[in-house]
Amino acid sequence: MFEKLEVFRMAHAMSVHAGARQAVIAQNMANADTPGYAARDVRPFKEIIETGDVGFVQRATRPGHLGGAGVPVDLSMSERRDAIADPNGNNVSLETEMMAAVDVKRQHDRALAIYKSSLTVLRAAVGRR
Amino acid sequence: MSEFSKSLSVSSSALQAQAQRLRHVSENIANSDTPGYRRKTVSFETEFGQRDSVGRVETSRVRLDQTELAKVYDPSHPMADESGHYDGSNVNLVIEIADAREAQRSYEANLKMFDQARQMSSSLMDLLRR
Repeated sequence: MFEKLEVFRMAHAMSVHAGARQAVIAQNMANADTPGYAARDVRPFKEIIETGDVGFVQRATRPGHLGGAGVPVDLSMSERRDAIADPNGNNVSLETEMMAAVDVKRQHDRALAIYKSSLTVLRAAVGRR
Repeated sequence: MSEFSKSLSVSSSALQAQAQRLRHVSENIANSDTPGYRRKTVSFETEFGQRDSVGRVETSRVRLDQTELAKVYDPSHPMADESGHYDGSNVNLVIEIADAREAQRSYEANLKMFDQARQMSSSLMDLLRR
């Protein structure tokens, strides 16, 4: 009954994605003055879920096996190419990074809020409110 | 290594690098009247860790600005030559102030990211609370 709750798996994947993207943005921000550094990014969570491109899933060969840790998310980094580079070859824009950071924070908060409220529903179901 | 600790270590490496840059700027400003002083500059490099693919920031070796030293006319100066000039420093205060301001802004931006990672992990911990 409680083995595969889609909403928990989705919320988990979303918060994992937010955490990974936060690390990438922190790296971009840290290297904002490094000559020759190209800004990186991971694909947006929405895009990953929509294309169903969630990487490989652990296979359960027996009913007792656990189904792995949530929805696996493709977290490979790619270089951001749309930005114009400075004369020293660095193309980090602090404004873009700031916006992305706010985006990530909100995504993480949203995922945790979903997780928390689903947990409340579960608690109510087992009668320990 | 979790993503949050990666993010915290990257941000703290950047804070350190910017602080060092600011140190050299203040050194330059302090020595702007020292005869024969050449201004010190540092550059930044991305240093990837061996175990994790995290691009931390490192400062490169200190280099001396090789532009011409300012010739100051003061025949009464003890270091003045026959024509009454002596070598001043090549520090331009406007450039140093601009550099210091830029370092300060970058420092603030990295501090914001550090704080954000901390907030995100602490709200994650709050899930355990009832």
